[in-house]
Amino acid sequence: MTGELLEGYDPEGFFDELMAPDGTVRAHYRRLAERLGTFTPEELARRERLRDAAFRTAGITFTVYGEGEGLERTFPMDLIPRVIPADEWAAIEAGLVQRVTALNLFLDDLYVGERAAVRDGVVPEWLIQSSDGFTREAFGIPVPRGARCLVAGIDLVRDGQGTYRVLEDNLRNPSGISYVLENRVAMTRVLPSVFGAERVRSVDHYGASLLAALRHVAPAAAGDPEVVVLTPGVFNSAYFEHAFLARQMGVELVEGPDLVVDEHVVFMRTTRGLQRVDVIYRRIDDDFLDPVCLREDSVLGVPGLLAAARAGNVTIANAVGNGVADDKAVYAYVPALIRYYLNQEPLLPNVDTYLLWDREQREDVLDRLHELVVKPVAASGGYGMLIGPSAGELELEEFRRRIEADPRAYIAQEVVQLSRHPTLVGDHLEGRHIDLRPFVLSGERTEVIPGGLTRVALRKGSLVVNSSQGGGSKDTWVLAAAGEPTTPEP
Amino acid sequence: MLARHAEMIFWCGRYLERAEDTARVLDVTYHGLLESPPAEARRSWLELLAVLGLAEEFLAKHDEVNARTVSEFLVLDATNPGAIVSAVGLARENARGVRELLSSEFWEAVNTFHLELHARDLRVDLAQQAYELYGLVRRRCQTVSGVASETMPRDDGWRFLMLGWMLERAEMMCRLLNVRFGEVAAAGELASFPILLGVLRSASAAEAYRKVYGAALDPGHIVEYLMLAPNFPRSLLYCLRQAEKDLLRIGAPDDLSRPQRIIGRLRAELEFCDVQDLLDAGLHAELDRIQQRVREAAEALALQYFRNVTVDLHAVDFRPAG
Repeated sequence: MTGELLEGYDPEGFFDELMAPDGTVRAHYRRLAERLGTFTPEELARRERLRDAAFRTAGITFTVYGEGEGLERTFPMDLIPRVIPADEWAAIEAGLVQRVTALNLFLDDLYVGERAAVRDGVVPEWLIQSSDGFTREAFGIPVPRGARCLVAGIDLVRDGQGTYRVLEDNLRNPSGISYVLENRVAMTRVLPSVFGAERVRSVDHYGASLLAALRHVAPAAAGDPEVVVLTPGVFNSAYFEHAFLARQMGVELVEGPDLVVDEHVVFMRTTRGLQRVDVIYRRIDDDFLDPVCLREDSVLGVPGLLAAARAGNVTIANAVGNGVADDKAVYAYVPALIRYYLNQEPLLPNVDTYLLWDREQREDVLDRLHELVVKPVAASGGYGMLIGPSAGELELEEFRRRIEADPRAYIAQEVVQLSRHPTLVGDHLEGRHIDLRPFVLSGERTEVIPGGLTRVALRKGSLVVNSSQGGGSKDTWVLAAAGEPTTPEP
Repeated sequence: MLARHAEMIFWCGRYLERAEDTARVLDVTYHGLLESPPAEARRSWLELLAVLGLAEEFLAKHDEVNARTVSEFLVLDATNPGAIVSAVGLARENARGVRELLSSEFWEAVNTFHLELHARDLRVDLAQQAYELYGLVRRRCQTVSGVASETMPRDDGWRFLMLGWMLERAEMMCRLLNVRFGEVAAAGELASFPILLGVLRSASAAEAYRKVYGAALDPGHIVEYLMLAPNFPRSLLYCLRQAEKDLLRIGAPDDLSRPQRIIGRLRAELEFCDVQDLLDAGLHAELDRIQQRVREAAEALALQYFRNVTVDLHAVDFRPAG
């Protein structure tokens, strides 16, 4: 890299997205590096201030719970974008489509099918039955075209060799797409000359694609389907995203009390009376959807909603009960499910995972707990994890005890040395660990939005990228192949 | 549109207008009192608080009634829901709840205004340059309304926003006139030139007034202009006409809603009355009565459009299930 930005930059033995082990800049980063090299540190600092002002003005914030002051924070976007070359992306895309297709088939089979994968012993029945996400109330609720994971967020990491692996599937209410879109807007405003030098595939058709997918799964009787976004309300940490998506799609953003069910038909209350609703893109967790069937203390949901869905009068997306398929123990069976339902070899490998109810695996894990990561099967967002190498003896002992008490509740994985990416720290670049959450839509066809949310652990050495725990993000550039348009056909 | 959204958008408009008008009445009072003895100043400040309906709340907190305590209470006291910072904050909260119905530009203008107020040391601003602070609030509110008018489609969302704006403005115009005029006109006193000019300026009406009546300032003419001018956008009559028009478009074509009846009647009254009638009847009492009617219209509006929870489900036209 020309200029002083990259002077003394050291990958420190990690897989670095930008710099090859021999210290040269990888081919797909060269143009970016050249352009960035023309900026002085002062100029970059000025652009950072521009970025902050833009995010604050637009009110792009998330809510941090449990802090009185500074309720809303901006989600920091690092100015140095991540670049993915066209061929690399094509492989990721194919792997994601394959995985989500299999997961949709599996879920539909479980809730309205003959449970073939269980019957044929691909996944043990007791494992399904014991999953928190397996939802009795979802039985018999049809989803047109089996698109149960209408929006899936599949978290990918790259290991020490640069191999992309699936870290976890988010099939319930994956969030983050609004940052993908807003990051892109911010990049094109703050560093237009850098962005303009590349042929980057666009992401701003997401709203149109999501709306098309939602209309595609409307009940057959709905001629011109009315789609709404259902939010828990303005105090939810992801409210910004809910409002953002409703606006992008041009549909109503409703809260539970705005909806009413009469004779198994869902209506919203409007200034002109009641209006029928056909598809609900809900951003409320399963438990809170319907106090009649699920949590009785929920004030966020709509009484009678599940019965209306079961009657086929409304489609709920994502479908109820998806949690069983992103259970972290069931995750270990996804490669087998791909082979079973699609008769294909999985294109994207899992991270090596140990199932702790198996005595042999458990004993091996307990012996080398200090080398492994342990995760609770039903949690997300990086909560309740053990990172063996950085844990103290007390913590290790505590997890040993918990695993022995309830081996089904945890899984263990090898530590993945997440790849690193140059990230602006003060006036220079340092390597920081990153992951990638691409978004997959199951509509008329299964579609992956180019790129996704690259999250970056801003704290030095940290492997935790979650926004609630000091993470930031990067704009993610998927380069168009030669002759390929950067925007999709209308 | 969703009943809840209509309500939030309506209140967004109301709070913005309230912030602007609070700045206006403060400005008039403050500058009208610069050379007054303390006793008279105290009386005027109390009158202002009474007109804003905030006298009790103020006296529960403060012993001293003077320019500093009252203007701080009305500008920066976040515990006072009628303070300018609170009104702008509430306008922003409501706008945040209906962001997807507003243009991005509108939201950004409201959000920036809110952030700017929080970034300033308002106590120092009030002590050193109250005039500029009031001017700033006014300009920011005008920016927001300009942005709204340039970027929002004329749909029901726009109409509820305008209704909030117009009903609050009508109410506040009654208050503004009451602050400096109710007593004066009733007693037949001649208000001083600076006070009369102040009233006009606070309504941004000084230049428009001169075009109609010339340079001489006459209290009767000023009342006539601010209440009955059909073409001045802050006059009572104008606000009511505008509100009536928006109500007509929101409502069902063959039906007159209760808010339409209330507003229409009041509009007709002002449209065909002579300013002398108002003065003879006692301006103070007339203003109170009009303000009360506007309030009733807002309540009827809320019942009709925001709380339609008792709509008969079976009377609604919808496609057959399944």
